[in-house]
Amino acid sequence: MGLGTYLVRRLITFLPSVIGALLITYLIAYVIPTDPVRAWVGEKLMDPSTLEKLKKDYKFDAPWYEQFAFLVEKLLTGSLIDPVRGTPVVLQVAQRFPITVELAIFGMFFTVLIGIPLGIIAAAKKDSFIDFFVRIFALLGSSIPAFVLYYFLILVFYVYIRASLLAGVPTLSPGCVATLENIRNTIPILGYLIWAVGQVPLFGGIICLDFSVVANTVSRMWLPGLALGLLSGGFIARIVRNSLLDALASETILFAKARGLTSNRIWRHALKNAFAPIVTILGLDFAGLLTGAIIAETVFNIPGMGLYMYQGITRLNFPIIIAGTFMFSIIYIVMNFLVDLIYALIDPRVRY
Amino acid sequence: MNIFYRLGSWIVDKYAELRDKLEPGWLAKNKSKLVETKLSIYVFTSSKIGLTGLILVMVTLFLAIFGPFIAWEPYNVYPILLRPDLAGKLPHPPCWSNCEGLPWAGTDHYGRDILSLVIRGFRISLVMSIIIVFTSAIIGILLGLLSGYSGGIVDEVIMRFTDMMLAFPGLILAIAFSLTLRLSLRDFMMSNPSFTQIVASIFALDPTDAPNLANLLSVFLALILVWWPPYARVVRGSVLTIKEQGFIEAAKALGLSTRKILFRHLLPNIMSPLLVMITFDFATATLSSAALSFLGLGPQPPVPDLGLIISQAGQYFPERSWWIVVEAGTALLLISLGWNLVGDALRDVFDPKTRRSIELKSKIVVRE
Repeated sequence: MGLGTYLVRRLITFLPSVIGALLITYLIAYVIPTDPVRAWVGEKLMDPSTLEKLKKDYKFDAPWYEQFAFLVEKLLTGSLIDPVRGTPVVLQVAQRFPITVELAIFGMFFTVLIGIPLGIIAAAKKDSFIDFFVRIFALLGSSIPAFVLYYFLILVFYVYIRASLLAGVPTLSPGCVATLENIRNTIPILGYLIWAVGQVPLFGGIICLDFSVVANTVSRMWLPGLALGLLSGGFIARIVRNSLLDALASETILFAKARGLTSNRIWRHALKNAFAPIVTILGLDFAGLLTGAIIAETVFNIPGMGLYMYQGITRLNFPIIIAGTFMFSIIYIVMNFLVDLIYALIDPRVRY
Repeated sequence: MNIFYRLGSWIVDKYAELRDKLEPGWLAKNKSKLVETKLSIYVFTSSKIGLTGLILVMVTLFLAIFGPFIAWEPYNVYPILLRPDLAGKLPHPPCWSNCEGLPWAGTDHYGRDILSLVIRGFRISLVMSIIIVFTSAIIGILLGLLSGYSGGIVDEVIMRFTDMMLAFPGLILAIAFSLTLRLSLRDFMMSNPSFTQIVASIFALDPTDAPNLANLLSVFLALILVWWPPYARVVRGSVLTIKEQGFIEAAKALGLSTRKILFRHLLPNIMSPLLVMITFDFATATLSSAALSFLGLGPQPPVPDLGLIISQAGQYFPERSWWIVVEAGTALLLISLGWNLVGDALRDVFDPKTRRSIELKSKIVVRE
């Protein structure tokens, strides 16, 4: 099967998943036995005609399937309005998603920085003190309650050493936004891509050479990133160690040894072979960071997607729930697809 | 041979003796099983990680069972309201060492003794995690067995549904579920006082806390609902690899019922990776339920839930509440570290590679 067929098949099998996920979250929210419109306007009594109008606008008088179809259709055309803030949800997601991307990038950076070297050292010095240390580190990382770790990192790096920002999120300057839009309008397809990447302030700052944004982003995001890295770095190190040991024990390496390759070359071969499972785990980890870092976003006060979805759910804000679910399913699918693609690139034996 | 191995081996021998007395010939028939069990005990007890974990688990289980009786202060009192003479003198209600007449291990902003609260918290944490994991493991195992063994349209339907659940971030789905379930559970508990009584005694809480109990139960059910899909996935995968093997064919040829094949022949053969998974999940479930309470979805004060205690302390962190975060955080860390250590050692126990290497070194004997 060629890559094209694979792509099409992947798309066909995932479409039901997206619709299913949307339907499940919608129905969960729908069966909550309270009046969503009341939850939106708050406890203050609003005049009944406005309530009626809101009810009509969001089709709460229609049966659930019509209401669902209405929400999805509005979402896909980009005209779904958040009733609480009064702006389109597409714009809100466009504002918050880049922040989550930044958090995920910093988290991934520290995870890789901690996990891969530790894993390689642990595999090279198997059963030594450092191997034991990596094991304990991984176990501690998966045992400590995330919020407790976050509190103590804040205590050390914000209260005692003022090494981090904790409020606000750096955004691009208006000039930079204009530059990016200019690029999008002048260069046909590549320009659009650059513009999309530039929406993440970290990359946007690099593209328009506005390094104050980059510096601010780094000082805002490095601490949550380090926290996420400390939590999952040990786990990644264990995976790296185990898959390296498996690779070193494989017949390919035995053959390489028999041919008399230097140990340097042997290690290079083993590393390359051990990489495929690591990429899978890292890819799924990244997808997890893009969707599920609610606790980190709460404690570090980062207005990202997790917090957005959380607020949407607790306030029964249907438009936000639908938009967030849609976004999460897309992230999951894209990440799974990318992992498969990278897998095929690294390991030529994998063919679809 | 260390003392822990001798203890375990002694228990196995005693058990075998008893079984042999009840049904003569049992020992001879099950000798290889006994050797296998002893080998597992040997591997487990010779790892420091496993023993440390076992001790931690025992300590936390002890506190979970007896903690509510040890705790010296009821959780639903507000000492600060009873001591108006203190109110003016105190720096701020959560206090550590500079408040007269209040406990040495610090208090929260109601003036309650934190240590006593945390000791009560073990019960809620462990009951939650253990029942969540067991229930969802059972659901997942049943669905996985059904799906893997029957194949065809049943398999397709179950697995598509499982994939859908897996495609969505678990914590967010759990938040949605717990909000959905909360109100109906509250109504249900209000109209069924005897049920409320039972739930309250399981969590060692006061039955008058019915709304809080409903919140606890909603988190609990929500986590079960999002926890089973990985089990169904793993079980189905192992069933698929095992069901084509000779002994299953033989069992089918002998005309055994499907139920017997599933539970007597398939399940025991896929149990060891599941046991490791369940042990690790006790830790994850502890942390997840604490995370949900931390986000404010679980019980409300004055329930001594560890996640809730920490989230309340967060408002004053660090100057006025670091001891609360330390004490409750350590409790959570101990619970999940214990399970994780045991899980890590169990993985070695069930790993054929370590088994083979140890089998050669040790001489395991079973008394005839």
